[in-house]
Amino acid sequence: MATAVRCTDGGGRGGGFRGRSDGGGGRGRGRGGGGRGEGRGGGRGRGGGGGGRGGGRGRGGRGGMKGGSRVVVQPHRHDGVFVAKGKEDALCTKNMVPGESVYGEKRISVQNEDGTKVEYRVWNPFRSKLAAAILGGVDSIWIVPGSRVLYLGAASGTTVSHVSDIVGPNGLVYAVEFSPRSGRDLVNMAKKRTNVIPIIEDARHPTKYRMLVGMVDVIFSDVAQPDQARILALNASFFLKNGGHFVISIKANCIDSTVPAEAVFAQEVKKLQAEQFKPFEQVTLEPFERDHACVVGGYRMPKKQKQAS
Amino acid sequence: MSESSMTIGLSWAPKVTLPSSGCKGNLVDSSSLPQTSIRKTENELVDGLYVPPRDPKKLNKMLKRSMKDTAGKSWFDMPAPSITPEVKKDLEILKLRNFIDPKRHFKRGEKSKALPKYFQMGTVIEPASEFFSDRLTKKERKATLADELLSDRTLMEYRKRKVQEVNEKRKPGGVDKWKIKTQKTWKKARGRRRG
Repeated sequence: MATAVRCTDGGGRGGGFRGRSDGGGGRGRGRGGGGRGEGRGGGRGRGGGGGGRGGGRGRGGRGGMKGGSRVVVQPHRHDGVFVAKGKEDALCTKNMVPGESVYGEKRISVQNEDGTKVEYRVWNPFRSKLAAAILGGVDSIWIVPGSRVLYLGAASGTTVSHVSDIVGPNGLVYAVEFSPRSGRDLVNMAKKRTNVIPIIEDARHPTKYRMLVGMVDVIFSDVAQPDQARILALNASFFLKNGGHFVISIKANCIDSTVPAEAVFAQEVKKLQAEQFKPFEQVTLEPFERDHACVVGGYRMPKKQKQAS
Repeated sequence: MSESSMTIGLSWAPKVTLPSSGCKGNLVDSSSLPQTSIRKTENELVDGLYVPPRDPKKLNKMLKRSMKDTAGKSWFDMPAPSITPEVKKDLEILKLRNFIDPKRHFKRGEKSKALPKYFQMGTVIEPASEFFSDRLTKKERKATLADELLSDRTLMEYRKRKVQEVNEKRKPGGVDKWKIKTQKTWKKARGRRRG
């Protein structure tokens, strides 16, 4: 029942209060985040990394790159995303605000040959579903440098900050979050990032913020709500351009916890198809999130031209 | 246009009309220009002066060469740094990191043995909250990536043993005379042993 309560409160997913959010850091010092709120979060958070194989690395699961270690930053397959290779690999994005980390993530500072300094921020797939989807091997996230993104369910803005890094100074991110509590963090984050526009409103009522948001190229939806397909469709009809794209993360538990996850995903995809969405691909976020899927597709895609001469 | 310049009394003026018409017919063929133009052939130039080549192909090539090589806009113009011996060693050892530790497994990277072109060498900075828990000590910090990857003493022994094993296996055995060099000599050798 606890999950049901979680699902219905607020538009967001309450990012910072999950237990898993500081799981990695906490594990080492034994103040673990388990047993808080959702059972799932706690269970996975601890079982995933530290418990089983912590020995060799000192720290469990993820982000074992210690401060001071050397890495090579290379472009990732996806535009605007980088990968840092060293003793371990990490996904990262180029920091728009050098010298600042948003949620206590590690940074990678680079000195170029011409003396300029660049900074990257490590992107944790356990905290961000978009990062999990990228590592899950999604073909394209459609969020590229310069694109305009509507982000539904921004929570405290951890993933939003990375999306803002990806789209860069020429792009724009509209971050919608209902809960004022996590919205506070979101606003604080947006103060330093010129390309983020925080909107503390219910994503169910796009009319309330339609004056703020322009036409967008991509909608990313992470509202763990039973009617999330409807929310996405509503926002898409207002703001998403024809031939634009959507990325939606589906949490099976939040929609229907009585049927198996795959059935829920299929049912949600059906719902999306009925709303002029055209799903291209679906990836599971399995090692990082339990019973989650990420569906990527297009909206009102133009009909394919016949191969005339 | 040409009359006005004549009235000033210049001995020479380029016979070029304004490009407003944009028509090909108005442009004067460069070859028909008198040889007294300011453009001089390259051997006539004084050292240090530079005239861009007339040939647009050559000009483009030159511009391209002078432009910095980057990964492009999609990756915020990540530069292609010059590859020094140290950097090369770093990258090579990074490619071989699967073999450094037998208990550690990496996702398979790209298959090509070529070194990456666009990359940057960086240092991880820990957030303030992890200053004590997640930070290399001064002694543990190394100047290069290669040093860091190879810093573990226990793994050094493993590496040495492994290299020795491979060498042992690869070492041609026996006397040089008996070494079988080709498929052809294989039969000969067998005959020799039997006969």
